[in-house]
Amino acid sequence: MKNILSILICFFCITKIHAQELKGDLSYQYMYAKQWDKAIQTYNFSRPTITNKQPLFMHGASISLSYIFKSPKHLKHGILLSYSNFYSKATNLNSSNLLVLHFMKLGYLMHYENTEKMKGLYIEAIFGANSSALYRNLNQSAFIYDDTHSKAFSIGAEASLKIGYYIKLKNNFYISPFVCFAYAPYVYSPNTEVVINQTKSLSSKNWTSILNTQIGMAFHFKNNQ
Amino acid sequence: MNRLKFIKYSSILSIGGMLIPSAFLSACRKESILDDTSFTGKVIIIGAGAAGLYAGYILKSKGIDFQILEASDTYGGRLGKVEGFADYPLDLGAQWLHGQNNIIGDLIHQTNTKITLDDSDEKFWFNNQLVNTLPKDINALFTREENVPDISFKDFAIQEGFGSEYANIVENIAGDSGAAASRISAYWKITEEENWISGDEDFKFQETYFDFFDKHIVTSIREHISLNTIVNTIDYSKDKIEITDSNNLKYTADKVIIAVPITILKSSDITFTPALATSKTTAFSKIGMDAGMKVFLKFSTNFYDENIIGGSICAAYADEKIGKTGNSNVLLAFIMGDQAAHLTSLGSDSAITNALLQELDEMYDGQATASFISSYVQNWTTKPFIRGAYSYSTVGMGDARKIAAESIDKKIYFAGEAMNLNGHHQTVFGAAETGYREVMNLLNDLSS
Repeated sequence: MKNILSILICFFCITKIHAQELKGDLSYQYMYAKQWDKAIQTYNFSRPTITNKQPLFMHGASISLSYIFKSPKHLKHGILLSYSNFYSKATNLNSSNLLVLHFMKLGYLMHYENTEKMKGLYIEAIFGANSSALYRNLNQSAFIYDDTHSKAFSIGAEASLKIGYYIKLKNNFYISPFVCFAYAPYVYSPNTEVVINQTKSLSSKNWTSILNTQIGMAFHFKNNQ
Repeated sequence: MNRLKFIKYSSILSIGGMLIPSAFLSACRKESILDDTSFTGKVIIIGAGAAGLYAGYILKSKGIDFQILEASDTYGGRLGKVEGFADYPLDLGAQWLHGQNNIIGDLIHQTNTKITLDDSDEKFWFNNQLVNTLPKDINALFTREENVPDISFKDFAIQEGFGSEYANIVENIAGDSGAAASRISAYWKITEEENWISGDEDFKFQETYFDFFDKHIVTSIREHISLNTIVNTIDYSKDKIEITDSNNLKYTADKVIIAVPITILKSSDITFTPALATSKTTAFSKIGMDAGMKVFLKFSTNFYDENIIGGSICAAYADEKIGKTGNSNVLLAFIMGDQAAHLTSLGSDSAITNALLQELDEMYDGQATASFISSYVQNWTTKPFIRGAYSYSTVGMGDARKIAAESIDKKIYFAGEAMNLNGHHQTVFGAAETGYREVMNLLNDLSS
């Protein structure tokens, strides 16, 4: 993770001269993944001793970096890397069960802004690949069996639409509140149920679709030359 | 519209456009399912083994009326214990927790139940001597994942170059799956085990598996269990299901969960009206369940190794003291398949014991008979409502488990280790999984 970020930051710095805009986002993220819900719901259903139910993966935080290439046109192109984090924790007698979900997304973005017609409004369409890693911790330590931390990975494709509004703070520095809607129709996640409900193919499919909405603030460094 | 108004309205629209659906979705998304069922009918569970007990445990937690009808004079099915034979309790049936990544492993954590990793060493009885390792790696039989033919495990082992000198070692591997090597399918054994996600480490309960179930599952549902109730017929032709037992007593239910061993279904001990479809009975017949027994041999000295694999009378012996708090020297003979059938045919517990002692004497220069104190034979094959060890996959069984586990007319549901479709058949937690799965199916059918 550190290496990826370092490489990306270096890439941004080296190529900044070619950038129309560099952007960082911070946002709240709401997620709906039907099959993952099913796995957690089955976990709660099948373990009556759990009085405090395991929460669904619903609320998360996200951070992303975007690089938009310089172009005289209204429609510009760029790339995006984002990281999101969700967790689900339930504390019960003798058992504090924590599920941590890390999400990474790498995407190609189309950025549209037309200051004459749309004032400061901009729209972005993002197409990318997402991947996630889910880990289970029990009683403040990694849940280990057969010398391995209980974990599951996923990979999928995602399309999203982001709408924001530029507010100029300094010459080249803007902020923009934004909302984003994302849909991943197919995320292959064969072991998610294994980590959550400790079964395979009993409660959910080995893939899920994911619906995401985000609201947050973006920080733009524009190259106005 | 000026710029400030635009920002204001678009912000409100954006936030509202996201938060309102999110709040709505959050409210719709429940952490559990089927908690608020309005079902006021009655469920009858047939069989008080791990699956039936767990199904009852779930029904109880949902506030649904149910009754468990058990044919024998005790609950637990293939879980059982004996006290007094040694200075620690012994598991008569299921004994090892195979991996921790399962529902029972979770309950163990929640209840602070004491379990111990069984990492005991193995010795092999090979070419009439005890050896630490085998000339050829027997694990090769498991590591091959492609092009495994649907032939018996015995034939597969021969095909893979494990000749007659490995016959009893192969028998031990098949015996772990409760089967004779000549009947279990290599293809299905390996294919189904690909779904195994519980973990490979084996654990033993400091008390017994039965005690664990008794304390944490049965406690809350004990009053719902009716023992000595042998179900003869199930009539599901009308709205209400009518069950008749061997004393001609009748029970009425809205839903029935059948959680009996596959041997009971295979031998048509229960008559269904209307009769079960041929596809169903064929599926039952394709699921294997061979003879199985456990013999506990108590000795004055500990002359034996922790595990002895490859005997011709018993392919697997294990030191029972491992994981227990106590001093008694008890060696478990874990006998499955043809070996269990052969010992059963000897006709008496003393004949079985003598056969085992003779084999151990050969391995340990007569020390077995010299230090023998007593034995305890638990023959699951002769238990009238069990009749074997646990289910296994036969050659050509295809999707028999899936067909066998399908519910009938949203009225009759099938649970039990043999009905586990997730690679956890043959295990207690696999049985428990089918218990809650069928309650889920039942409630889903009601809501649909």
